[in-house]
Amino acid sequence: MNWSFVIANAITLACIYGTLAIGISLTWSSLGLINMAYGFIFALSGYGAWLASQHIGPYTPVVMTAGILTGAVGGVFVNALAFIPIHDKPNYQLRGLIATLAISLVGNQVLLWNFGPRAKSLPQLFGAGSVSIFGVVMTADKIGASLSAVVLLTLVLMWMRSSRRGLEIRAMMMNPHAASLVGIGVRQTSFSVMALTGGLAGLASVLLAQTYYVSPFSGITPMVKGLSIALMGGLGSVPGAVIGAVILGINEAFTSTLLGGQYVLITQFLLIILILLIRPRGIAGILDKAREA
Amino acid sequence: MTAQSERREVLRVDGLSAGWGPMRVIHDLDLNVYSGERVGLVGLNGHGKSTLFLAIAGLSGWQRGSILLDGHEVGRTRSQGPGRYTHLVVRRGLALMPQGDEIFHGLTVEEHLDSGAFTPRAWKERGERKKRILKIFPPLAALMKTPVGRLSGGERRMVSLGRGLMADASLFLVDEPSLGLAPKIGKSVIAALMAVELGGSAMVIAEQNVGLLQGRVDRIIGMHAGKLKGEASVASPLSSKGLAA
Repeated sequence: MNWSFVIANAITLACIYGTLAIGISLTWSSLGLINMAYGFIFALSGYGAWLASQHIGPYTPVVMTAGILTGAVGGVFVNALAFIPIHDKPNYQLRGLIATLAISLVGNQVLLWNFGPRAKSLPQLFGAGSVSIFGVVMTADKIGASLSAVVLLTLVLMWMRSSRRGLEIRAMMMNPHAASLVGIGVRQTSFSVMALTGGLAGLASVLLAQTYYVSPFSGITPMVKGLSIALMGGLGSVPGAVIGAVILGINEAFTSTLLGGQYVLITQFLLIILILLIRPRGIAGILDKAREA
Repeated sequence: MTAQSERREVLRVDGLSAGWGPMRVIHDLDLNVYSGERVGLVGLNGHGKSTLFLAIAGLSGWQRGSILLDGHEVGRTRSQGPGRYTHLVVRRGLALMPQGDEIFHGLTVEEHLDSGAFTPRAWKERGERKKRILKIFPPLAALMKTPVGRLSGGERRMVSLGRGLMADASLFLVDEPSLGLAPKIGKSVIAALMAVELGGSAMVIAEQNVGLLQGRVDRIIGMHAGKLKGEASVASPLSSKGLAA
């Protein structure tokens, strides 16, 4: 068995799924919305990146920017359709879940109708070389995917720590009621949250398309994984999502090597059930020392 | 100009009714608050003090009636959607320090105070304002970088009040500042609120404990069953029967 291959895969998957999980986690904790359309945004940005590579040129910055921007636009679209009209109505969380699920179903069919069922592949973004780090052979696409995910996520998190808009989003994540009391508009902020998380989905989509393909339903599995990582990490906790992503990345790489790819979701959910049985609040419950409300 | 003509009407509530679902808590209430004054609102638990404050902020379940804040109409007839317009009311100059503090438990004390200064002018002056808040609540100075979730109840109350005082508000509504605190700490919190320089703004403090406010505020209004009842100023102290529920 090739250990370095397993480790390299684990790292790459952890970075990509972590990006998705943070997006889902942010949406849930700031807007109270479980965004079931996240997989659709993911697939949509894959197609956005593909169109850009076909019509503008297969350059790395062009493809990545196109993917991220399409994701952001998709996020804003979902927000305008599924959050703005119902967020202050009774039963909003359930209705939001159903509304985003509907967007996801309709959207995926539209993609199928428009682009056909054949999978598209994105151009290679990070070249074809490979480097050996401490005996672990990393191919260029894995290094590129991991590094760009880490760098962009770090930038996003730093922005959330230091900027005024970031303070706004964090305040809304912790207490939406109090946020409106200090003059933070839920509707305005929701657009920045959804554009941001949509952009994260776009990034993950472009990066994952380096290993897989872009197809109308390519977003479903990554969304399920992102959602389960977010759950495992404790919804709303960024460090929890990162640790959850690492655990699930390792699990996925090991399972697919030792048992075979078809068992990945089984071991993954067994692991999540185990963790939630021990710590119902997820990994965040272990990390968080602050008292609840 | 005389001091009398400078008495601007900061808040004018006309015929306000508000409640939650089928329950009507506030009944056709009228209330005027003038600039520079500190008003105590006393009444028993469940008689509508908090609902009145929340209705002014647009956070009650439903409401109707006119609310003029600094001459701008912020009252709406609303049957649902609590909080939909709250941020707009807040930007018009309302600072509500709610019951139960409503803190952001993961933000540090400093970030909290920053979050209180969300109107553009307050944001620019926030360094200066933070210094002013630390003068009012000195214990916070050592805790600036601590997440609020780790503070004690009294410290949280200071953070919550400090956040409200950071704002560019013309009306401060303080809901039960002494609730849940040890009597000594409660008294010091009230004393700190009395030390705030109001300038052109006004402050309304809701309390169950009349004794904490008596002799310290400009007038005391009683509230009973969703209506205002009995009023006493410093000049004509309150008779105990005017406020008995």
